[in-house]
Amino acid sequence: MSSMFGARVQRVEDDRLIRGHGAYLDDLGEDALVAAFVRSPHAHARILDIDVSGALDVPGLVAIYTYDDLPDKLAEPLPLLIPHPTLTHGRTPFPLARDEVNHVGEAIVMVVAADRYLAEDAADRIVVSYEPLPAVVGLDAARAADHLVHADVPGNLAARSTQERGDAAAAIASAPHVLELDLEIERSASTPLEGRGVLARWDDQAQRLRMWTSTQTSTGVRAAVAAKLDLALTDVDVITPDVGGGFGVKIVHPWPEEVLVPWAARLLQRPVKFTEDRREHFVASAHERAQLHHVTVGYDDDGRMVGLDVRFWHDNGAYVPYGLIVPIVTSTQLLGPYKPDAYRVEFDSLYTNTVLVTPYRGAGRPHGCFVMERTIDAIATALGLSRTVVRERNFIQPDEMPYDQGLIFQDGRPLIYDSGDYPALLAKLKDLVGWDDFAAFQENARQEGRTVGIGLACYVEGTGVGPYEGGHVIVETSGKVKVATGLTTQGQGHQTMLAQVVADELGVPFEDVEVVTGDTRRFGYAVGTFASRTAVMSGSAVALAARKARAKALRVAADALEASADDLEITNGIVQVKGDPDSGIGLGTVAVLSNPLRYAFDDAAKAATQFAGSSDDSKPPVAEDDEPGIEGRAYFSPVRSTFASGMHAAIVETDPETAEVTILRYCVVHDCGPLINPRIVEGQIHGGVAQGVGGALYERMAYDDSGQLANASFMDFLMPYVSEVPARIEIDHLETPSPLNPLGIKGAGEAGVIPGAAVLAAAIEDAEGIPVRSMPMSPSDLFELRRAYSQENS
Amino acid sequence: MKISGVATLNAPPAKVWAALNDPAVLVATIPGSERLEPTGPDSYRITVTAGVASIQGTYTGEVSLSDKHEPSSFVLTARGAGSPGTVSTTVQVTLVDAADGRTELSYDADAVIGGMIAGVGQRMLSSVAKKMAGQFFAAVDDVLTGAAIAGQPQEVALPGAGQPAAAAQPASYIAPRPAAADGQTFTRGVLVGAGVALAGVAVGALIGRRSRLCPNQS
Repeated sequence: MSSMFGARVQRVEDDRLIRGHGAYLDDLGEDALVAAFVRSPHAHARILDIDVSGALDVPGLVAIYTYDDLPDKLAEPLPLLIPHPTLTHGRTPFPLARDEVNHVGEAIVMVVAADRYLAEDAADRIVVSYEPLPAVVGLDAARAADHLVHADVPGNLAARSTQERGDAAAAIASAPHVLELDLEIERSASTPLEGRGVLARWDDQAQRLRMWTSTQTSTGVRAAVAAKLDLALTDVDVITPDVGGGFGVKIVHPWPEEVLVPWAARLLQRPVKFTEDRREHFVASAHERAQLHHVTVGYDDDGRMVGLDVRFWHDNGAYVPYGLIVPIVTSTQLLGPYKPDAYRVEFDSLYTNTVLVTPYRGAGRPHGCFVMERTIDAIATALGLSRTVVRERNFIQPDEMPYDQGLIFQDGRPLIYDSGDYPALLAKLKDLVGWDDFAAFQENARQEGRTVGIGLACYVEGTGVGPYEGGHVIVETSGKVKVATGLTTQGQGHQTMLAQVVADELGVPFEDVEVVTGDTRRFGYAVGTFASRTAVMSGSAVALAARKARAKALRVAADALEASADDLEITNGIVQVKGDPDSGIGLGTVAVLSNPLRYAFDDAAKAATQFAGSSDDSKPPVAEDDEPGIEGRAYFSPVRSTFASGMHAAIVETDPETAEVTILRYCVVHDCGPLINPRIVEGQIHGGVAQGVGGALYERMAYDDSGQLANASFMDFLMPYVSEVPARIEIDHLETPSPLNPLGIKGAGEAGVIPGAAVLAAAIEDAEGIPVRSMPMSPSDLFELRRAYSQENS
Repeated sequence: MKISGVATLNAPPAKVWAALNDPAVLVATIPGSERLEPTGPDSYRITVTAGVASIQGTYTGEVSLSDKHEPSSFVLTARGAGSPGTVSTTVQVTLVDAADGRTELSYDADAVIGGMIAGVGQRMLSSVAKKMAGQFFAAVDDVLTGAAIAGQPQEVALPGAGQPAAAAQPASYIAPRPAAADGQTFTRGVLVGAGVALAGVAVGALIGRRSRLCPNQS
């Protein structure tokens, strides 16, 4: 049987999903009551009064809840999920606002009614009186702190955090050259096509809660809900149905709705469902990306960075339930494949009266990559050197692996790169895009009156962060293999990829392996799907579980075949003496034999019953240290993250009149170690590039001065369509294995998006001959940039 | 959202001033207004129905005049809320005698629009507000020139005013026509909601546009 690991297998999920047979949250619970929310129209206000009397006559109304109705732990603020010593002023929201709202969209009242129409009708009739307070919008206002988001948080400062390796200030002071740059990235958001949603059923006889939620962590939601509702963990099942995209926003938990809906279901003894609409998703979930950076870099005549100092300001929105992960990732991953002699980074995480900020695919890396790559390009420009040469001179070399960057990463572990070959990646990228031939192309274009430019950007991405994931593999008596892992799936093709791993490890046909994710009934211990970790973490865990199941199968079969387990192999689901296909028995039969039976329920089971004469009657049917069944359960917990890497190059053309940017070519070289399924990895890259293009050229969150999100719909928020994404994304792979896991793999989920803003900024700069310091770049932005530049230089 | 501009009305300042301080005129001329209740000196509670497509609703709010320097300037402050959104605005208004029995108005409005209307209709708000200001002042001008009638205290509300409950409040003023059936230049399909209506009220309560108005939105 050929190896499935590395095969371009078509995704087993797609037949179902593409034909409309998926079951997303809103496809469930047709019998459920429906919740709708009254949300704040003000960015910052005191709640004076809530008058629900006008809503009481709405037919179908079942219940209205405000903060005053919330009992016990539900009346406390939602958890701060990831504390950090420097997060001195962490604030999280109440499930329903108590006396103050801090962003447009914050939930104030929950209405439960027979259907969504009636629930919204009732919500419309609830009158909330407010005393508007000054809104803090944007990093400038947050830093100025003329007004405070939270009265008890001076300077709007949630956290100030510093890391340093070496003495950056001294290194810069003694450097032959110094450059300073101010670099800015705007807000965007995950914007999955399916928003958030939750359905809860309370079983009063069993006193158990079962809930479905569109999440990236079912075990996290289970733990949070059990704690908030005072339930035993074993009395709560959380099931993740098909999820129409997560991209980070759904790792946040519990959302207010995720605790309120099950609470109401228990109170009302009726199933209750909430499905977020698009506008709610814009104003009541989470955003990312907005940061301002000030870079001071000292470098020598060759362009080598001797000292790098980065000061940046992170807009964390109104609350920080997910801690400081985004700015920590920026501050550490900014270094990319480079090794400045000394590095210092300090960031402020600041409150604003806007939607909270939590990781969105890339999670701080796109900003870090933008800052670092803009800095390298600025050095190259200042010295008149090739941009690729300056990069090569600053690369960590393959023989320096593992390379300790001397910082602490987002998982609290040292930032040590485990593997990678950056010079080889750059060589591949230059080949792929034809870097050395571009100057001639550019000159030809110029003679035709066209403006084209090329850019590149490099990144290193910490993937597969801990603490752990687990996997369970069981061989059924049919010979079919059932696999479960606790983390969740949002369309990445996990069922396919994990089945490939198990098929190889166990020696069974790929088609016989079925994988379940995100169902606490099947696997109760898990962390979640984020940080490009599923292949590394759950892939390794199911591989280890499959190895255990295989060892057990060989042991049971060895008894039956009267052979040594060492002489056996499993091929195509048959356990046989190595090289002797005639000797074999099916894995299903082995599963039957592994489970001594009293009752025969079918012909296969007969072989394992007590009068079948197949067992040694001097021993117990199940040995003291054994268990029935062919099963394996295993956990994978790496010492630290594994570091994938990649480089993108883009060629763009800018319109001299309209300032529109057209991507002519987009090339990706990528190293996530050995590829389990190249087709899936490439799909991840395609999707990531699409989001990178969106973030670089189209998407922004247009907050006005009063904290209103002016483009809270797909009419005005420009997500790229297929017409805006390069028709062809050229991809080449490098495979340097990681020493940190049994499969040698590194994550790939976020790779495509990380260098988007950086590479397109570089290409636009090259085309226009104008420094680009801020992204995204809409045609209007580029038009203004041209005008400002020509005024400065005239 | 900042909107400013100038307009010319076909009446001298004293008459314009009187019209703009007459709830019977206001209720008849504010687009979508249904009723206007004086709540104190120079302050009113107003009910407006407006909307377009799926964003429809009834809005209630307060309008007050302050810093009055008759007949040359005043400040209008309005705050209102309805299910699709909120609006609050401050408008500085100046009346100047333009001779020939006409008045030139200049206005400078700063409006904060909130809620759904702010998120999904923002790019249309300023043009809609200007349009409603134009409608309003066309209507005021019509009253001033005798081409239209003012509203009435509720006891003599005309058929179709649609506010039977108002009978208990003799101090209310009811629009002389169904609020939704404005047959002038008003095209309902262009409105984006009652939050806009109130912005329009705030601005439009003072300014007539017709073809002479040249607002600058910044």
